[in-house]
Amino acid sequence: MITIETSGFIPIYEQIKKGIKSEISLGVFKANEVLPSIRDLAAELVVNPNTVARAYRELELEGFICTRKGKASFVSENSSSLIQGEKVKLIEDVFDQAIAEARKFGFDAVEIRRVVESRLKNQHKRGEGEGR
Amino acid sequence: MSELLKITGLSKSFGRHIVFSGLNIKLTAGKVYGLLGLNGEGKTTLIRILLGVIPADGGEIHYKDSAVSFRSAAYKEEVGYLPEDPFFFGGMRVGELLDFNAAFYRRWDGRRAEELLKRFSLDRKAKIKTLSRGMKLRLEMAVALAARPALLVLDDPTSGLDVLTRHDFLQDIIRELADSGTTILFSTHLVHELERIVDHLFILHRGRLILDEEHEAVKNSIRRVRLSFQGDPPQTLGIDGVLSETREGQRMDVIVYPWSDDKKKKIEGLSPTLLDIEPLTLEDIFRSFVAG
Repeated sequence: MITIETSGFIPIYEQIKKGIKSEISLGVFKANEVLPSIRDLAAELVVNPNTVARAYRELELEGFICTRKGKASFVSENSSSLIQGEKVKLIEDVFDQAIAEARKFGFDAVEIRRVVESRLKNQHKRGEGEGR
Repeated sequence: MSELLKITGLSKSFGRHIVFSGLNIKLTAGKVYGLLGLNGEGKTTLIRILLGVIPADGGEIHYKDSAVSFRSAAYKEEVGYLPEDPFFFGGMRVGELLDFNAAFYRRWDGRRAEELLKRFSLDRKAKIKTLSRGMKLRLEMAVALAARPALLVLDDPTSGLDVLTRHDFLQDIIRELADSGTTILFSTHLVHELERIVDHLFILHRGRLILDEEHEAVKNSIRRVRLSFQGDPPQTLGIDGVLSETREGQRMDVIVYPWSDDKKKKIEGLSPTLLDIEPLTLEDIFRSFVAG
């Protein structure tokens, strides 16, 4: 499920790209599988078909998908190795956002690091509690 | 991309009330244009002039490089129209309406008409007056699209419809865009509906086009800036392009267009204790342009 939000900084075509990459990484779309047509995805997301076309074009340039001439787009063979690199980027994005929020509240690097450490410890403890 | 429609120096008054004067608009083929304006700012008047329903007082309209004559059918045949309050002959049946319209359009596509009826679950034999508002809108759309318009003009056709029906309608519009790349001029007071669809924005306000710009360009260069100061905020931020400004104690909120790094530096020079820069939704963009 790709979700689009229009109140932030990220353009819709970027959100579609990100959405498809995350679907690939989650195995919703597997290598050589056909992606929804531009028409269908545009209607589903209620966005301009040109926006979906742009997202597909860029995903193709980046090597995640292939498009047969005038036909459907499908997930490319080596998409999963490309996704490995993307995963780091996705996580970095999440951290960037969190750090920006923290800075807004006036936290410095030491305090931010302390929060991250404490969250990691917290998760670790919970993981142990869940039956190991 | 080629120029589909060009309006130059258009003016229209009703009695002493000037609706607009010297209006210039250009439409490029294959794009989706959003026409925004408060009630009574002349959106419908502009559309009615475009369709040849009422005459302009002055100005010119060119369609595909030739001057439009509203007496000839050639231009009207290529323009589809969905009005806010559609008119139907009371006793007509769905099929009769299609056959009636087919006679007026050389580009009429009978097979497409049947496909559209099927897609919209419209029964040829149904009496139009028994249809719900949503189904009437779909019928209008089937009629408009079967004529294979090069330009589709939507004058707030979803007003008064429920959320699901509006959603279905937008999806139908998107399928049409994907299938035939029709140019669309979409006027609506439900601004947020355009957010994901429009390529280009027109804002009509007090007889002028106060905005005529690519949607993405506006979105990228309009910002809400939230500021806090030690003590009272300064009298002025010393930047231009401030569309609106609100103050409350030590806080100050401004909307700036166009935004730039230069302006950011100027504001930072005033050493605010808080500086938050946010993008705006289309609804907020519209509001900030017409509120001033």
